[in-house]
Amino acid sequence: MAVAEHAELVDDPRARLRLVADRVAPLALARERTLAVLSPLVPLFPEGGLRRGSVVAVDGDGATALALAVAAGPSAAGSWTAVVGDPDIGLAAAAETGVALERLMVIDPSPPGSTSKSAASVVAALVGAVDVVLVGSSVRLRPADVRRLSARQRERGSVLIRIGSVDGPGVDVGMRIVESEWAGLGAGHGVLRARRVRVTAQGRGASARPRAAAFLLPGPQGAPVALAR
Amino acid sequence: MSVPVRTLVAWCPDWPIVALGLPFDEAVAVVESNTVIAASPGARRLGVARGLRRRVAQARCAELVVGERDEAREARTFEPVLAALDDITPRVEVTRPGTCAFAMRGPARYFGGDRAVAELVHERMADALAGRTDLRVGIADGPFAAALAARSAAPTRIVEAGGSPSFLAPMPISVLERPELTDVLVRLGLHRLGSFAALPATDVLARFGSDGRGAHRLAAGLDERPPDARLPPSDWSVSTEIDPPADRIDRVAFCARSLADELHRRLDREGISCTRIAIEAETEHGEVLLRLWRHEGALSAGAIADRVRWQLDGWLNGSAATRPSGGIVRIALLPDEVVPAKGRQLGFWGGESEVDERAARVVARLQGQLGADAVRVPEHRGGRHPDEQLVLVPAATVELRGRTVMADGDADGDGVQTPPWPGRLPPPSPSRVPSDPWPAELRDESGSMVTVTGRGMVSSPPARLVIESGDWGVVAWAGPWPVDERWWDTGDHRRRARFQILTDDGRARLLSLERGRWWVTALWD
Repeated sequence: MAVAEHAELVDDPRARLRLVADRVAPLALARERTLAVLSPLVPLFPEGGLRRGSVVAVDGDGATALALAVAAGPSAAGSWTAVVGDPDIGLAAAAETGVALERLMVIDPSPPGSTSKSAASVVAALVGAVDVVLVGSSVRLRPADVRRLSARQRERGSVLIRIGSVDGPGVDVGMRIVESEWAGLGAGHGVLRARRVRVTAQGRGASARPRAAAFLLPGPQGAPVALAR
Repeated sequence: MSVPVRTLVAWCPDWPIVALGLPFDEAVAVVESNTVIAASPGARRLGVARGLRRRVAQARCAELVVGERDEAREARTFEPVLAALDDITPRVEVTRPGTCAFAMRGPARYFGGDRAVAELVHERMADALAGRTDLRVGIADGPFAAALAARSAAPTRIVEAGGSPSFLAPMPISVLERPELTDVLVRLGLHRLGSFAALPATDVLARFGSDGRGAHRLAAGLDERPPDARLPPSDWSVSTEIDPPADRIDRVAFCARSLADELHRRLDREGISCTRIAIEAETEHGEVLLRLWRHEGALSAGAIADRVRWQLDGWLNGSAATRPSGGIVRIALLPDEVVPAKGRQLGFWGGESEVDERAARVVARLQGQLGADAVRVPEHRGGRHPDEQLVLVPAATVELRGRTVMADGDADGDGVQTPPWPGRLPPPSPSRVPSDPWPAELRDESGSMVTVTGRGMVSSPPARLVIESGDWGVVAWAGPWPVDERWWDTGDHRRRARFQILTDDGRARLLSLERGRWWVTALWD
């Protein structure tokens, strides 16, 4: 049911066709399988969706909103999302962006009095069990952890979204907001309505060529809205 | 047909309230997932009943004291009460904190009859309860009838041997606590257990399946399942040594979790599940502590681990009289009563139920690793502030599969909208809501602090925002949006004025002015 639904959620006909192709292909490697993303974000991904097993890093101002927007696509299509080490994330904003709250868990990797070794082991446990793992900037992953995680990710097909450190090791796509402008607020009147952003994405492999997209993040109702070109 | 085992059930009403130590004579309610699960007599008089939503309960009774349910604490405080029964019989089983049961055959012969045992139970437990709540004792054939006898007891109800069917017959059908089944039965005109029990067993089995047959057996005063003479072989039990001896609950709980998983795997392989489990702990001084836990359904790995943790917590942190004299060196779990596992049907295509299943498994695993409070899931509360609309609750307190979480303005399956919150800011909501607001200063052109008058007027337009990490010029702003909340409650009364501030670094923040001080309460990151 999850698969049947998510094709309908994607507006772009080309992306929809690609999702159908995913399903009918005789053999799909993990790197060829994708998770749906919200339609305004489609131009940022060469495959038209989040490649399973990849690491997406978001950085700079607006990183939280961008991370939620990336996670919203798979979540709306039936995937679980885990947030590690970022308890301050705005739950109402997450819901408005399109993250399904019934499939969201927020994990504190180092609770007081815990005997756990490191946050990396928590992330490793989540990879494979949930499709999208959102890692907050407070979580430090050493290069050795990253290597182990990416091997596990390739096998299980989960996507890691990291807030902060676009240039860190193991990052497949680094995204940041390069221009942003709020609308709706005046000098003593109005209310925040929407933010027009331009996002660039660059990484390695298929994402080596820089890509950019402009959309509203958040839009008037919270969810990202594509801008007419 | 065999007669069920004669059983005594002792029931302490409203245990969740007693366990939390809330004042019993006032209007108090304990909630779980925003639903009232226990209400004190005072609250019941004002119309607060089980199953109400928190907001409805608070609307009916504004001075209601509300506590969150804490099952571990319920179990911990119940342990000393149970220990009082230890010299009547060693095989006291806990159904849930607040209710315990034991088989009467031995004690009745030793102490000289049902009434003598009931009096003894009253006497022993009254000391341990120390007047915190009253105690009801019911004795009947079979745990189901005995539990109902305890509910109707004042304070003791003894149903004579063989009298269970006629005792149960006039009871309303809803006592079966199977809402889907009883709904159908009521529509068929069967309002009493007696009329349901009168149906032929084969017809019930054909129409309602094995679950319906179980209910039918209960209604007829029999055991839910035909008794299984097999005693679980001892090699199904699992145990672990703890070295060095543990006297802190977190260390023992960690072992308990892996032990519960192991037991569950072993039983799974045999195709059985466990309805009653014995938890045994041995201390370094050779004391052996044993307690039985029963569950109406089959115990899942998570449920077993919870019960083990509660029980060990009860032993280690209980009263001085019952606490073991040394650290725990060994824990064992012995399946005491088993039934064939029915299993759970996954979705036909493996789809969402499989996804949920995997998520539930990792949640259970992380809870074992990090503690029950480290894994949390969102729940709708409603409120005017970003941190009040949705809150995080421990994942252990909710059913993860097939749940729905509403956001403000959503409608549920029946088209009922979440209640409106006048004064809540419109979307988009801030993407970052710090649990502790950051102190800030908002200054005007002349450098003096911006204030808001009692009538909601801004003293002068804000020009600079100063917080710990820097200071910025204000580009655009709006406000104040005043809120005056819980003015009827001197302790919780809050007056705030909220502002949206856009600074020259391009960031938008939500500020609030409270008692003359500015706070950054949220950020549109």
